[in-house]
Amino acid sequence: MSLLDETVEIPRRTMTLFFVIDTSGSMAGSKIGAVNDAVVNVLPMLEEISAENPDAEIKVAALEFSTTCSWLYSEPKPANEFVWQDVQANALTSMGAACKELASKLSRSGFMKSASGSFAPAIILLSDGAPTDDFESGLATLKQNNWFKAAIKVAIAIGDDADKDVLTKFTGTNEAVFTVHNIDALKQIIRVVAVTSSQIGSKSSTAGDTTKQEQVIAEVKSAVDNIGGAEVASAPATTASYDDWD
Amino acid sequence: MAELKTGDRVSLVGRIQDPVGRGQSVTIKKELGRGGQGIVYLVNFDGKDMALKWYLNAPDNYFYPNLNNNILNGAPSDAFLWPKALTERQNGSYGYVMDLRPKNYFEFGNFLMAKAKFKSFNAMLAAAMKICNGFMMLHRFGYSYQDLNDGNFFIDPQTGDVLICDNDNVMPQGEKSGIMGKARYMAPEVVAGGIPDKYSDRYSLSVILFMLFYANHPLEGAKVVACPCMTEAYEKKFYGSEAVFIYNPNDKSNLPVRGIHQNVIRRWPALPAVLRDTFTREFSEEMLRNPQKRMIEQNWEKLIATLRDSLVICPHCHEETFIEEGKNTCMDCGKPIDTSLQLKLGARNLYLTDGTKLYIDHDNTADVQVLSDPKAGLLLLKNLSSGTWAAETPSGKLKTVVPGDVMPVKAGIKISFNQNTKGEIINA
Repeated sequence: MSLLDETVEIPRRTMTLFFVIDTSGSMAGSKIGAVNDAVVNVLPMLEEISAENPDAEIKVAALEFSTTCSWLYSEPKPANEFVWQDVQANALTSMGAACKELASKLSRSGFMKSASGSFAPAIILLSDGAPTDDFESGLATLKQNNWFKAAIKVAIAIGDDADKDVLTKFTGTNEAVFTVHNIDALKQIIRVVAVTSSQIGSKSSTAGDTTKQEQVIAEVKSAVDNIGGAEVASAPATTASYDDWD
Repeated sequence: MAELKTGDRVSLVGRIQDPVGRGQSVTIKKELGRGGQGIVYLVNFDGKDMALKWYLNAPDNYFYPNLNNNILNGAPSDAFLWPKALTERQNGSYGYVMDLRPKNYFEFGNFLMAKAKFKSFNAMLAAAMKICNGFMMLHRFGYSYQDLNDGNFFIDPQTGDVLICDNDNVMPQGEKSGIMGKARYMAPEVVAGGIPDKYSDRYSLSVILFMLFYANHPLEGAKVVACPCMTEAYEKKFYGSEAVFIYNPNDKSNLPVRGIHQNVIRRWPALPAVLRDTFTREFSEEMLRNPQKRMIEQNWEKLIATLRDSLVICPHCHEETFIEEGKNTCMDCGKPIDTSLQLKLGARNLYLTDGTKLYIDHDNTADVQVLSDPKAGLLLLKNLSSGTWAAETPSGKLKTVVPGDVMPVKAGIKISFNQNTKGEIINA
């Protein structure tokens, strides 16, 4: 047996793509249907990106939150093994609890335990409303988490009732909040955001001056121009950036 | 955004083949793939299938005339899948047309993921030689590549032939394309924000060659694996300011890890010492910090030629192995190899064992195949070159060996392979 026949795959890092999905009562019907459809259709694309990428393997995790929150699987799965179970909508919007749950899994004792290390995760938050629980304290916990700090964070606001201030606080910038007004746009934006975040998040960085999150935002923005019914949040950020002026 | 669809016609500036001028166009047939920069389409040009790289976000204005210059100047060598024609600016963007990549070539990333494997060390050395030569020619033309990584060259695993793609990132020395590669292939000074040049290309070349030979990354050992989350900031450390070679003799903090970096752990001791010494030097702190001191492509070529001269087929197990000074046991079966029959070629000694191929000149194709004639109990040399050899026997008889013909291996026979290259068979 020759030395060349014994060649094994070089160690790849893991890049986990998190879907954090609002499944409160208002999502019922076509919205939740569109989310289910879009995620199912994007999984094979993620699998393809993963299969061609010597830098990292892509895994997928999904957290749904309504009155309570729960993970679709108890650990991140490779895209080809991730069988999407349609999520159902009901009752409240416990986004604060979802933040705390996410924080608890963003650790090496939680979901981030790859033997050959990870890249920072990409987190996609989808919501059509406003939190009904204590979002601020949940987010405060999450913001202490180093994985979250380094993550690519993008939010998709479904319709005008979505609380864009809350989504801006989650992603850290209003530029990372994309609003959609119809079901087709929702499906398309889920695809674009998931594919772009996975492509950029799972590669050795370009070592330029822009962060991976900024690169994702720039690419998604240019794609959004092509999607009817999708827009970038235009309201100024209500983060703490003006505190110095008080 | 400016995606194209099947049936769209894209008009060209300049020419794909002589004599053509303005007014030509290609027609989109289908999408072949897409990346961060753009989409590659299969297109029809005058009945012929070609590829169109189309930018989704057109790079800055500087890019367009640069591409045009590269097209007019032509490819530095046949290792490059070079742009053949620029499109006019249209649909809010532009692109360029090139030949299609043949199906038997696999992205280097596929070799790293063990989805494609070299058929032989012979093919691996041919690939290494062709990559070095391509970069030498590129630099001789005054260009630098800027973005050398596992996604932009393709290798035929059977022959080791190489095609270097994404040549839109090729720029004159000292200028910056604005398109940056992956940190793991960038020189430390570029990771730190410097402008890529031929010196940083040479660093990237040594990374690629290391990965070609050892199938692991030269800077990714214990220290890097221990980092749970590879953020941009950590990448700048591990591939830039705090880069440590995995076999740095003075710093053992980043040694390869058993169970993770299996390929390099197996191959590092097995492949010749001259290769270990070269990489240990090229990835030393001194070379990481002093770009001008890095080994030039010609010396890489010499090293690869030396390795090739020492590659033989083991007569016992018929696998390939390297003969080194003081070490003539097979790296696979461990049995000693009789290396007494040699072709002496100036300062070179080529070992003659059944099945071994010899490279007389430097055109990266084998010129001699050693065979055996069991009945006569002799080894034979088959002429694989396109020229006729002139041989002189020990008793002074003159013979010719035409291409495809064979001659016996007998000590004392002198062979003129061409006007400048004369050798003698010896029994050392």
